[in-house]
Amino acid sequence: MSNNKEIVRLGAPWEKTGNTSWTQCPACEEWFHVGPGLLDRPEVHMHCPACHKEFPQTDAKRLVTSG
Amino acid sequence: MFRPDKPLSIVHDITALQYALEKAERRPIVVVQEPRRADGSISDIPVVTNLTGSRTVVARALGINDHQTAAPIYAQRTGNCIAPEKISGESAPVQEIVLEGDNIDLTKLPALTQHVTDPGPYLTAAHATTYDPDTKTDNTAIQRCWIKSPTRMSYFPYPASHNARNLRKFWERGEDCPVVFWIGHHPAVLMGTQAKLTYPESHWGACGGLIGEPLRVTPSRTFGDSIMVPADAEIVIEGYAPKDVLEADGPFGEYTGYSGPQVAAPVVDVTCITMRKNALYHDYGSGLTDMLVPDNMAMEGKVFGLCKQVAPSVVNVHVPAQGRRFHGYIQVENPGPGEVRDALMAALSYRRLKLAIAVNQDIDIFDDSEMFFAMATRVQWSRDSFTVDGLSGSLLDPSTPVGSKTLSKMAIDASMPLPGRAGAPPPIPPRSKVPDEAMQRAAEILSGLDPNDWPTL
Repeated sequence: MSNNKEIVRLGAPWEKTGNTSWTQCPACEEWFHVGPGLLDRPEVHMHCPACHKEFPQTDAKRLVTSG
Repeated sequence: MFRPDKPLSIVHDITALQYALEKAERRPIVVVQEPRRADGSISDIPVVTNLTGSRTVVARALGINDHQTAAPIYAQRTGNCIAPEKISGESAPVQEIVLEGDNIDLTKLPALTQHVTDPGPYLTAAHATTYDPDTKTDNTAIQRCWIKSPTRMSYFPYPASHNARNLRKFWERGEDCPVVFWIGHHPAVLMGTQAKLTYPESHWGACGGLIGEPLRVTPSRTFGDSIMVPADAEIVIEGYAPKDVLEADGPFGEYTGYSGPQVAAPVVDVTCITMRKNALYHDYGSGLTDMLVPDNMAMEGKVFGLCKQVAPSVVNVHVPAQGRRFHGYIQVENPGPGEVRDALMAALSYRRLKLAIAVNQDIDIFDDSEMFFAMATRVQWSRDSFTVDGLSGSLLDPSTPVGSKTLSKMAIDASMPLPGRAGAPPPIPPRSKVPDEAMQRAAEILSGLDPNDWPTL
């Protein structure tokens, strides 16, 4: 995994946290949300729903994961 | 039934019409005779959507006059399975047209792109049928399919689903997984496929139980008797999910009302498409009542059966669309001590429910204002509510904590306290009401007026 992965830190147990991870397309810079099952499989390329570029997770412009 | 008198785009516009109808609280079946593709051409396959947006329509398709009575009837009929009847492919309407080889082209189907975040056209009413390679027992479930090319689509069997289990079994054997998707049938048959069954257990019997006669099935062209398909379906797509091939699928608008994330999903390489002459293409408005109603009504039957086993006083169950598939209302009549909580525990054990509320028969469980009345006046929260952590649930729930595989669920006992002695009124004050005869006279006064002229403020 490249160093563009950002992790949103969890707060205290009583604080609400989101569960959605976001990635940014390296071509058109569209943000779209990705599930943990996809993030766990780096061999599966992401697919930008806007411009349809397929790219490995390591090529994501940004990847912000929850947890 | 609503038939727009001009072409409608399959990209967003048909779904937008559904949203507009839902906002206006209108739930007609929508038939788009001239679906316009993204390239501007008109598909010669009409689109039928909102088929199941109305509980009344779905109930009538099951031969039930009042949708509010459907839960026990659904539970009873899907429990009385009727075995399917096999007919030949030559006699099967769904095989009137057979497309193989270079004639296969998924992109000719008028599959809708529904929501802004969807990456492309999805089959939303494709019923995936696979089989357990150990027992040869088939299983059917709705699974979304993203059309990626003329011969390939991804599909998403939810990881806990029986179809996903069948897929894993084939892949663990080193084999591609045979799979068939069928689209379009009588709503009662569609409801039969929503029956919540054990593994492995075929849905064909439950479909037969609901329609009151054997479901006609025919061997698929690719897999023969190994995977039968409903002979009277509109369209069938056959193919293999190649071993260990996963591709990105989604984001996709889900029943939760949110866009589900992009996932790693199997793909299907299509071997054959069959359809009726003059086939119709069925679409479910994903996240709309069109998709919620049939599954919620099936859930009502399942939850009713679960509760009834431990609490005989349960008389009805409602899973309201406004709660997506997460809220269940349980109605009891003269429960014994502890029985309401028994029923609530049984309801919470059902995977998708995360809130169960019990009320008495004087509360209309199909009217949320009545449910709020019961909670407002019959609940002391520390006494009458409880939460249970670590139960199975839908991980599509956006509130699920990161990394969690289970959910926290809540039950509310909004029933009346038990009477002090048998035959006595319950120990709470009576509800305020005016005499029935006075209400009748009021209705007669109002029936002669046109409320459209009244002030709106």
